[in-house]
Amino acid sequence: MIERYHLFLHDFPQETSKELQLFSIIAQSFFQPFSLMDNLLVIMTALTAGSGLGFNRAMLFLAKRGALQGTYWLGPASLEEAESIWRVLSTPGIGYYEIIEHNRALVSADADTLTKRIKSLTFPLDQNEPQLPALAAASKEIILVKEASNEPLVDRRFLETIAAEEFLCIPLVGKEEILGEIVLDNAITRRPIENRDIELASLCGLIAGNFIYTSHLQRRIVEMKKVAAMGEMAMFVTHQLRNPLVTIGGFADQLLDPRSSAAKRERNLKIIRAEIRRLERILLRLTQFLKVDIKEPVPVDIREMFKLVSQAVRPRLAGKKLTLKTEIEPGLNSAFCDPIHAGEALRNILDNAIDAVDVGGTIELRAYRENDEWAVLSVRDNGKGIPERVKEKIFEAFVSTKEKGMGLGLAYVKRVVEACRGRIVVDSQEGQGTTFRLYFRAKPKEGEFKP
Amino acid sequence: MKKKKLLIVEDEKNLCLLYKEELTKEGYQVTAVSDADSALKQIKTKAFDLIITDIRMPARNGIELITQIMALRKDVPIIINTAYQSYKHDFMTWAADAYIVKSASLDELKAKIKELVG
Repeated sequence: MIERYHLFLHDFPQETSKELQLFSIIAQSFFQPFSLMDNLLVIMTALTAGSGLGFNRAMLFLAKRGALQGTYWLGPASLEEAESIWRVLSTPGIGYYEIIEHNRALVSADADTLTKRIKSLTFPLDQNEPQLPALAAASKEIILVKEASNEPLVDRRFLETIAAEEFLCIPLVGKEEILGEIVLDNAITRRPIENRDIELASLCGLIAGNFIYTSHLQRRIVEMKKVAAMGEMAMFVTHQLRNPLVTIGGFADQLLDPRSSAAKRERNLKIIRAEIRRLERILLRLTQFLKVDIKEPVPVDIREMFKLVSQAVRPRLAGKKLTLKTEIEPGLNSAFCDPIHAGEALRNILDNAIDAVDVGGTIELRAYRENDEWAVLSVRDNGKGIPERVKEKIFEAFVSTKEKGMGLGLAYVKRVVEACRGRIVVDSQEGQGTTFRLYFRAKPKEGEFKP
Repeated sequence: MKKKKLLIVEDEKNLCLLYKEELTKEGYQVTAVSDADSALKQIKTKAFDLIITDIRMPARNGIELITQIMALRKDVPIIINTAYQSYKHDFMTWAADAYIVKSASLDELKAKIKELVG
């Protein structure tokens, strides 16, 4: 027999301890679409919620460039304020969304003097004999301070700020590194800090360390992905440039040979010129892709765009004896896009269609309305279709089914369409053909575009 | 002395022409083709002393070609001549006798050919 339970518990029976409920909330906050700061705020809230773990105030420091940097300080500034805060937090049925909202407002409000007071505080971690609060983080030990005024290990500036005789320092650590520190006190109620408080606070500290560590890892992964993408791009560009360069270099060397005939010299010069033009085209493609800079979609005359694009591909159509059929739905005059980039995007798709169809094939270029809202520009061919294995990746940069392709064409098209706040849809059957549909707005959406 | 026979597989038209001219000048008898299938056809009917091939080519790529050459003519040395530096450490390229990254100077290629066939 098995019993199944939901991974995320929401409703606890009355007799469940407050601590267990709070730890459940903390653990679940990690799975919410919260930022790291929100996750930490949940922990800080649990530590200070009057009915929770019961500290009066909690101070958060994060380790930055070898020092503890004051980040925020949660808790009431006075007894009166304490009462009103604690009343809110002990309202029955209050969930973590409410807690987060409440505390987010608290730490970001101008009136929140506590946070303001520690924002400018930094304590170096790498000193020979660090004082508190840095000492706890530097030694990775929990430190309880009593009679702080008489304790030489407490930094005087810090003592003035916290203005409490008893406080607890919890280091936040990752696998190896020091990530920050939480300082807790009971300055308002003056209740002594007990063993049980220390145990619970240390658990909160471990979880907070985990959250910070994970978020650092995530950030590193994103950076590594970026570097990897750049490496891939560099590799493709290198390859693309190398072939024409080798050709130019080789034929230029031949030119230097005094024995070569006038006819050969002329031939070589023509080849060199052609390869230089190819290099230029490669660079153009690349800059075009890297610099899609569309500020505001404007109404573009579809008839005009179709005319220009058809003219541009005419020589290639003639070369393969292809038919290009063009059709525009009556009454549909313009699409909201960028006149240059959208035309170029359409041309990219037409070029692909020309590559895909056999000699004598047909390509259809159409414009029609969909739901009154969209102007759809579609390119349909009866060519070989897109292989199933690459279908999902066709819009990624540097993915190409053509051996000599840069894999930038469709990536560029997608960037253009999205920059114009449109979308692109592809429909393809291997051996049957492919249809690309570019969706642009047929008219401005209310309030979206300037007239 | 009989001329050594080279087979060049290179899908870039201009490069193909360049290699053919330059290596002929060096005293080799050069056959140049632009894809793997034509290369296989040549290998089946003629004996070559050396095969020089690119890796990325339409239809069948250079690695597939090398595998097939090895099945047909085990003893013919193969040079991979490509624009891709990154394949150099790929274990599939170990089957070849040399790996040369295409360069605007053909000296390295010429030296390697001399080393392998004389």
